[in-house]
Amino acid sequence: MSRQLNILVVDDDAANADSLAELFQMENHRVIVAYDGVQAIEAFSLNKVDIGFFDVMMPNKNGVDSFMEIKATNPDARVYFMTGYSADDLLDKAVAGGALGVFSKPVDLSRLLQAVEAEAA
Amino acid sequence: MSAPAKKRLDDTSVLLSILDHLPTSIFVKDENLRFVYSNQLHCDIIGKAEEELLGYADSDFYPEDEARVFTMHDRKVLDTGCVAVDEEIATRADGKSIPVLTRKVKLTGPDNKTYLIGTNSDMTDVRKRENQYKALTETIPVGVVQLEEDGVIAFSNPLFNAYCGGDSSEEGIKAFIDQLGKTQTGFPGVSSKFETEIFVAGLGRRSVIAISSGWLRIGGNSRSAIISVVDVSEMMELRRVNEEVSRLNRELADNMKRLAAAQDELVMKGRMEQLGQLTATIAHELRNPLGSVRTSAFLIERKIKDKNLGIDVQLQRINKGVLRCDNIITQLLDYSRTRQLECQSSDLDTWLAQVVEEEAKKLPNALLIMCDLNLADRLVPFDPSRLQRALLNLLSNASEAMLGSGDGWSGKKSVNAEIRISTQCTDHHFEVSVADNGPGMSSEVMARVREPLFTTKSFGTGLGIPAIEQIVAQHGGELFISSEVGKGSRFVMRLPLDQASRNQAVG
Repeated sequence: MSRQLNILVVDDDAANADSLAELFQMENHRVIVAYDGVQAIEAFSLNKVDIGFFDVMMPNKNGVDSFMEIKATNPDARVYFMTGYSADDLLDKAVAGGALGVFSKPVDLSRLLQAVEAEAA
Repeated sequence: MSAPAKKRLDDTSVLLSILDHLPTSIFVKDENLRFVYSNQLHCDIIGKAEEELLGYADSDFYPEDEARVFTMHDRKVLDTGCVAVDEEIATRADGKSIPVLTRKVKLTGPDNKTYLIGTNSDMTDVRKRENQYKALTETIPVGVVQLEEDGVIAFSNPLFNAYCGGDSSEEGIKAFIDQLGKTQTGFPGVSSKFETEIFVAGLGRRSVIAISSGWLRIGGNSRSAIISVVDVSEMMELRRVNEEVSRLNRELADNMKRLAAAQDELVMKGRMEQLGQLTATIAHELRNPLGSVRTSAFLIERKIKDKNLGIDVQLQRINKGVLRCDNIITQLLDYSRTRQLECQSSDLDTWLAQVVEEEAKKLPNALLIMCDLNLADRLVPFDPSRLQRALLNLLSNASEAMLGSGDGWSGKKSVNAEIRISTQCTDHHFEVSVADNGPGMSSEVMARVREPLFTTKSFGTGLGIPAIEQIVAQHGGELFISSEVGKGSRFVMRLPLDQASRNQAVG
């Protein structure tokens, strides 16, 4: 039996963020939604987040920089990235900084759910 | 045979008539140098009839100084009895002075009196030709020498003498001729044309001399070698300068061409960068809504599960539409991507086998993919993510050519559809080849297949092959395409083993 996760979904595209949130909820997980990098950092500091799905290009603070800040206080933070196109430099930095992986948008949902399942196992 | 009747013509009037028709002027003077006979030609020169001459002397007809010379010559003949040949100037009755060659003989007549018989020839034409000849040999910019068969120098013009260094003695000229012919066997005994570089005393420097020699028949059976020489050093220098100018011109033209190409490349690069930025923006802006469409469709599918609403087909269409849009965006990104390659030396065969295995899952099951990998663990330099894109494009092109896109847009169904992927190494390159046994391409399609935006598919960006070509070019390689209608197509990516040539292509 897999456990219930606290999942943080970060995307400035509300339709994306909300539909993913709904998907994870449907899978019986708790979901926190953030619409930019600053909100993501705040969400991490206020909640126990098991796994995060971060968009890369966002206003206020991009996903990768936010992740690096979160990493500084939560070295064990587990985050996947989702990107509309390969912002290679940023993604290299994210992977080097310990990101779990990168999903290309539009995200292949079965792979996404596999990742979540693995985390919950 | 009886002996001929011998009768000599001695009719005086006939003889006088003969003398009048000779082309030589003849006159006879008595011991006081007064005319006692003049033939017609002599009369013509003086411009008087014979009756008007008889009993008169030269001083009665010719200018004083001319007459004095005639008289002097006449006296000498009468005094010595020797034959005299002299050249004299005679002014004719018409006022024209002509050179005449005079031969004078002393003769004692049947009356025991002393007579002077003179003949003279008009030398005007001879002198004229001589003067022309002299002027010619003195003014032509060619040194000329006439060498007789027995080695005697018959003539040399001033320029030839000048080349000899002013030593126009026979020895000086012969020495120069020897010097000219040093490299030419048989010279000057054979007709020849050649150039030689020698020190020319008259010019005080080493010079390139063009020489032409040949035989001239002078008359009878004697002949002379005529040798003409020209200093062509300046011409050679001009030729050299001319060649240098031509070479520089060619170099300039090449440089201009390179500059134009570099400019074109810069403009192209600028355009590609703009296109890259634009495409990246479009990709980002489109993929976000595509993501929410896909997720939403997924959610709907979940929510209506087991409710039998009969909208499965519609949901499938949405998902396929999303997939197709995504593929188009990927192709646009592939084509417009300008980032530097990240080449690493890798075991291409092993990498390729993995990529093909992964991708084969996404291709129709009816497709048989075969690999013939021959690099034998060799490490070769390539950018894995870029080469993977090129390979995926080739695989999906081949698959779609044979089996259609799977969207039901094409009736194509090749039986025994096969794709053969092979690798091999040559001296300086490695090759990745993708061949199919599909319908092949017509010559019209082949002619345009590399053009961006050209497509034969109902749904195609026409950027697949240009993107492959760009990826190959970024590696410093070349894309070869061959195809035969009804047999299939073959794409070969030939990439350099040498990292340096790749850097050059990118830089």
